[in-house]
Amino acid sequence: MTLLEHIALQVQPGESVAITGPSGSGKSTLLGILAGLDVPSEGEVMLDGAAFSALDEDQRALRRGELCAFVFQSFHLVSDLNVLENVMLPLEIKGVSKPADIARQWLERVGLGHRLKHFPTTLSGGEQQRVALARAFAVAPRLLFADEPTGSLDHANGQRVIELLFDMNREAGTALVLVTHDDQLAARCQRHLRLEEGRLLTPEPA
Amino acid sequence: MHAALTRPWRDPAFRILALALAIAALSLASVVLLRAELEQRFDVRTAEVLGGDLVLAGSYPAADTQRDLLSDLRQSEIADFPTVLVHEDELLLVSARAASDGYPLYGELGVADARFEASRGIDHGPRPGELWVADQVLDRLGIEPGVTLTVGRQALTVTRIIRQEPDQGAGFYSMNPRILFHSDDLPATGILGPGTRVSYRLLLAGAAADVSRAEQALPDTLREDQRLDTVADAATRSMGPMRQLTLWVSLGVLLVSLLCGAAIYLATTQRVRRRARMAALLRSFGARRRQVLTRLLGEEAWAVIPAALTGTLLGIALLLGLRRALGWDGPLAAGVADWLTLLLGPMVLWLAFALPRLSALVRTPAMQVLNDRLAPRQLAGVIELAAALGAPVLLAALLTGSLAELAQLLTLLVVLGALLPALLWPLLKVLDVTSRRLPLAARLAVRRLSRRPGLTLPLLASLTVALAVLGMAGQTGNQLLSDWRQKLPEDAPNHFVFNLFDDDLPVFADWLSEHGARPQPAYPVVRGRLSEINGVPVREAVTKEDDQTERTLNRDLILTEANTLPPSNRVIAGSWQPDATGEVSVEKELAERLGLALDDEVLFTTSQGTVSARITSIREVDWESFEPNFFFMFAQDGLAGQDITWLTSFWLPEGDGARLASLLREMPHITLLDVNALLDQAQDIIRQASRATGLMALLLMAAALLVLGAALLGAQAQRGRDNALLRTLGGSRELIRRVTTLECLVLGGGAALGATLIMLAALYPLGQRLFEGALPWSLWLLLPTVLGLLVAATGMALGRGALRQPPLALLRQEAG
Repeated sequence: MTLLEHIALQVQPGESVAITGPSGSGKSTLLGILAGLDVPSEGEVMLDGAAFSALDEDQRALRRGELCAFVFQSFHLVSDLNVLENVMLPLEIKGVSKPADIARQWLERVGLGHRLKHFPTTLSGGEQQRVALARAFAVAPRLLFADEPTGSLDHANGQRVIELLFDMNREAGTALVLVTHDDQLAARCQRHLRLEEGRLLTPEPA
Repeated sequence: MHAALTRPWRDPAFRILALALAIAALSLASVVLLRAELEQRFDVRTAEVLGGDLVLAGSYPAADTQRDLLSDLRQSEIADFPTVLVHEDELLLVSARAASDGYPLYGELGVADARFEASRGIDHGPRPGELWVADQVLDRLGIEPGVTLTVGRQALTVTRIIRQEPDQGAGFYSMNPRILFHSDDLPATGILGPGTRVSYRLLLAGAAADVSRAEQALPDTLREDQRLDTVADAATRSMGPMRQLTLWVSLGVLLVSLLCGAAIYLATTQRVRRRARMAALLRSFGARRRQVLTRLLGEEAWAVIPAALTGTLLGIALLLGLRRALGWDGPLAAGVADWLTLLLGPMVLWLAFALPRLSALVRTPAMQVLNDRLAPRQLAGVIELAAALGAPVLLAALLTGSLAELAQLLTLLVVLGALLPALLWPLLKVLDVTSRRLPLAARLAVRRLSRRPGLTLPLLASLTVALAVLGMAGQTGNQLLSDWRQKLPEDAPNHFVFNLFDDDLPVFADWLSEHGARPQPAYPVVRGRLSEINGVPVREAVTKEDDQTERTLNRDLILTEANTLPPSNRVIAGSWQPDATGEVSVEKELAERLGLALDDEVLFTTSQGTVSARITSIREVDWESFEPNFFFMFAQDGLAGQDITWLTSFWLPEGDGARLASLLREMPHITLLDVNALLDQAQDIIRQASRATGLMALLLMAAALLVLGAALLGAQAQRGRDNALLRTLGGSRELIRRVTTLECLVLGGGAALGATLIMLAALYPLGQRLFEGALPWSLWLLLPTVLGLLVAATGMALGRGALRQPPLALLRQEAG
């Protein structure tokens, strides 16, 4: 079964790209391939000018750790680690020095400086997603993948997270690939692509 | 119905639950049944040794009024007395028994028709006119079966050789060769008259209700000279090792049940998580609580029954195999209460450990579940704790029949169960804090454990207890068995020899070396009756009037002198001076009975006059040691000038009757006692005990690993998600592998460390008492570490599944 075909997508540094599409259209699969979490059966993914999908799994993980970050719909914080430790985690994997200082800084930035020692289960959904944002930006990624970042949040919290996401993205100059159902959210990106039956289309302007 | 039975099996959590229940049922069934078999056999054996379910003993025959009370019971009366046989010019002192019809009531007599012929069992005694005699009578008098001997004034024909009586006591030392004839011939012998030393025993057997009626009626009718012996009295006197063994095995089953209970609890937690959505959906569709319970709990209950039954059937099969291996026949000994215990026990366990948890399905608000806000840790902990603590107590009560016996062990278990998590919790916290400086992998590993106390603490506690018990069982069980083995090696002395004279010793030594028999130390022996204590005649000095004391005072005691104490003797008061003439050491229980203390002067009357000595030590004697043991041991030369004979023991392969006959021909005056039958029985118990402990240890370890399996399974989904997340954030497979390995090592190592500490703490008092403060170091102390590593390895193997989960699954769990 062919899930995706004729996909040609180039994302420039600092550019924001939204990908929308109906359920089951392959959005998450595309995101996984772009992030090197899966490999295409045909074709190639280049990251920062170098072959990415051709690398082995551990090399891809290393490269991903250096250049990319994620924000998920279900936040995916590690439940055994507190807020500060969650943000420190990718920094430590990357081997950055003084991870706690950097993590604390980003948590201040998302307004959670007072909840450093709390565990994820004690936070609201909106707060958990803000921790996820801090964790994503703390590693200073060149490219941020966001998969339905507001999908599990109510409107007010979703709005707050989106504002933060775009603000921080702008400040850090990070490229953004955003998968979403929400056309309004997609409209805030510089480019909007639609995935239908495995093909990427540029939608008609509304 | 079929689908309801099979559906739960698709869930790995249910399979663990079912396996735990099956293991608990298996150990419960096999132990309950085995205990019933052992107890019944022990009671039967005790009744055999006693001669009946009840024995009315006295210096005169039982009165007719007493016999009238006993008409519902089978009866046989025996009279035991010493007499002298005369044949041609030979005189022989024998121990005679006249038995009425019906003798023996239990067991069989071992007889043979000719010298050196193998023994066979026979269920009746001699008929009037017949005389059955021991081999030694033939050897001493130089006769063959068929000869007519005169007992008193009555001529009787020797028709059989008697080798074994079921009610043969262990009174080795006063044993003259046995002759047995029918009590109808007794009056004609004319032996019995006023002043004859004779003891009558009316043996009684029958249905339990009739026996207990007689047991209640008889005491009021007892004469001064009479006493009533019951199986229960006899059993309490001699059940020591058997009771220890059943207690040990009961504790084992209790621990297996507890560990299985923990596995059931953990697996059920998983089941609840998986089924919560279904329950919530049913409720959102309008189902009432009862309907939800019937559907979900009913299904669960139906599905666990086959698992419990399988375990029970396996346990029954195990016992049947054991019965066959041991040649036990007859119907199973277990009573209604035993069957109820083994059938209901597993369900009690399930009800206690699973039901409170499962009932959370209807207690948690449906919307919380549907919105993924289930907080499983907040579920009515009190009920669960009460059930989890109550079930083992109930099981213990069912297993032992009396709480008092296991009270100490239960207290220990409860203390460990409550104390261990409480002790481990701060340790885990400390580990959490100190791990901040550790490398990332170690830190993540520690945090997986330290930040899930609800899972880690019970798991660590049960693994620790299991490892500690296994280690201690290994250490003490092995110690116990090796002690027994040392006491009863394969070549333990199986023959005792009395009445050797000084001149016989070199001849006897030659015979031993010629036949490859293994000699043991020889003890000089003098027969003497205790006549004075501190110058006061013993009848006045001893005020205690019980039966045993009476017998001690009425018979010749065997006195010996030695320069060293036998290994099975331990001085508990005073000191043993081998060269201090005029001093004597006395056995503890006898000293208590006669009220003897250190520095008392005792005087014995012997064939050569008297011998006296001052008590300078009191000894504890191991009577089960199959070594010659003595109530009074004099220091060297303490018995100088007395008529000394020698007593010794030796080992010779069984069934070598011809060699023994040559010994008896050479020294016809000696008394030879064959204890092979007793030895075989004791060695058989050792073998069964070591099998039982081995099996119990295996079941215990299996149960402990099952708990680990259930715990890891419970955390598997979360673990898989965490690993995938680490990969997404750029972590290598190596990092994840290291985290998993370290986590298992910390868990296994922590349990091993805790278990070793518990072992050391438990062994410390032993070391204080027995080894002057030094701990009894042995390789068994390493067992928890070895097992801890096994636990770690099992954990790593089980955790590999979570390692394989692709990171993309993280994204796939979401819309897309």
